[in-house]
Amino acid sequence: MGEAGQAIRIEHARKDYGQMSGGRREAVSDVSFTVSVGAIHGLLGPNGAGKTTTLKMLLGLVRPSGGTFEILGKDAASPGARSPLGFLPEQPYFPSHLSALEALTLYGRLAGMGRSDVEEAAPGLLERVGLDGQAKTQLSRFSRGMLQRFGLAQAWLKTPSVMVLDEPASGLDPIGQRDVRNLMLEFRERGATVLLSSHQLSEVEAVCDEVTILNRGLVAARGHIDDLLNVKGQCSVTVRGSGPLPTEVEAVVTETASSGERRIFSIAEKDVRRVVDALDDSSWKLVSVVPKRDSLEDYFSRMLAATPEPATPESAPAAPAESAAPADPGTDVAEEVAQ
Amino acid sequence: MKAVLALSEAVLADAVRKKVVWVVLVFATLLAFTVPSLPAYGGEVVSAVYRDVVLALMFAMSLVVGLALAVTRIPGEVERRTVFPVLARDVRRWQYVCATWGGMFIVVGLVVLAFTAIAIAVGALAYHEVMSVLLKGAFAAWLEAGVVVAVALLFSTRFSPVTSTVGALAFVFIGHSIPGLFTTLVGSGEHAAAPWWLPSLGVFDIIAPVAHGSGVSAVHLMGMSVAFVAWAALLLVLASLLFSGRDL
Repeated sequence: MGEAGQAIRIEHARKDYGQMSGGRREAVSDVSFTVSVGAIHGLLGPNGAGKTTTLKMLLGLVRPSGGTFEILGKDAASPGARSPLGFLPEQPYFPSHLSALEALTLYGRLAGMGRSDVEEAAPGLLERVGLDGQAKTQLSRFSRGMLQRFGLAQAWLKTPSVMVLDEPASGLDPIGQRDVRNLMLEFRERGATVLLSSHQLSEVEAVCDEVTILNRGLVAARGHIDDLLNVKGQCSVTVRGSGPLPTEVEAVVTETASSGERRIFSIAEKDVRRVVDALDDSSWKLVSVVPKRDSLEDYFSRMLAATPEPATPESAPAAPAESAAPADPGTDVAEEVAQ
Repeated sequence: MKAVLALSEAVLADAVRKKVVWVVLVFATLLAFTVPSLPAYGGEVVSAVYRDVVLALMFAMSLVVGLALAVTRIPGEVERRTVFPVLARDVRRWQYVCATWGGMFIVVGLVVLAFTAIAIAVGALAYHEVMSVLLKGAFAAWLEAGVVVAVALLFSTRFSPVTSTVGALAFVFIGHSIPGLFTTLVGSGEHAAAPWWLPSLGVFDIIAPVAHGSGVSAVHLMGMSVAFVAWAALLLVLASLLFSGRDL
């Protein structure tokens, strides 16, 4: 039974597949995390990290080889456990011969709603996801972005307490991505818990209260995205101007990038005062000084580099979690998983 | 039950949009219209031959429609991932399998019923005889198609449409061969008839008595219904078990 305040609990999830050669291939080695009620929790990781398999095990689409999966304290495989849950699959497809209203009616009835209840709720729901006036349009005429929005609408039917969204902004234009972010925040405002699997840092940064990062089937790190990605003791300085930087600044700069008159460089936190004074005395204009942050891509790259390839896929033991975490001083604030 | 009904309705709505259903029905109807006009049959044709042909058409049509629908449904839904938003909800795999079968069984029933109505109408026009006995043949064709759909679904939970078609056709062939095989092996005599408990599809072979005799008795129809229920239940349990063990 899950502890109070936990919407989702996954303990020691494991999934391996048999291979033609007779061995086993581990897709998920040992994944444990919890999602608090009312939180938006991001599940991050490079391709093949085990995100989708973990979600599928939670949703009963894939049989786990081991582990515990609970939704609001109930075993996820038990009857009724998934009724308070809405799910948006990655790159969702729906029966294309149905209209949006017919498809919502089908999913609503599967969720236990009456036909008339769905018909009453559908216009408002479609309007909320930006599909107002499309109730009678066949899904075969929907663009990818519209299908993604429809996917959110069907997941939000019956106002679920828990939402599982797999790459919800995938394939959407910037406006669509912004709308999806706003929708997730709205879900949370209405009391829902959201488990979000995503590659998009901007999306995760904007909405997630906490994240779990998976790598090669293990939990590599978890915590707040800022704690995971901020590089401790380093700042990023943006200046505008031309010519060489002042000598005092050049002496402490570690990484530099430039674009036109704009130059961005990294310095140690302790040098900030000195650099700002030197820039004030020069022709360079200071634009910003912010804590240095890794891109998620860099984070993943380092994480992959830090994790050795298993010797043989079928017999390799699960790599220890601490070796999966990147050797990044910025991650020490976050809870790196060592158990 | 609500979920099963909703899914069955969705399968039904999807199936009636499939071209194959209408093409087979129209083709069978054209053949039924053609039979009385063929020169060889013409005026001398006896209505029994007509009944023979339309009953064969009925069985073939129900088999084609049932197979065409059943072997593609689950692999297609899994490949297109339309099954994810369904099974991620509180819908059990056995409910999904049974609902899919139920929807298809109804579609095949509607197609067989439509063709039977047309065949009876053509028979009445051509031979001035209301061949209500064809309804018994339609009933047998429908029940057998229900079994075939269940077999095809069983295979399709794990295999491709082509393999499922071959498997289902092999089942039909073997199922109809068993009584004859038994008779051949046992030889003629009073014990030559296959016993009722022998698992086969022989109970659905009613073309000859319906076309050339006085039909089949109520007891036989009841036995046919029992055999259908037993086959369908067994196959659906196996299909549900196989599908439950599958990773999507």
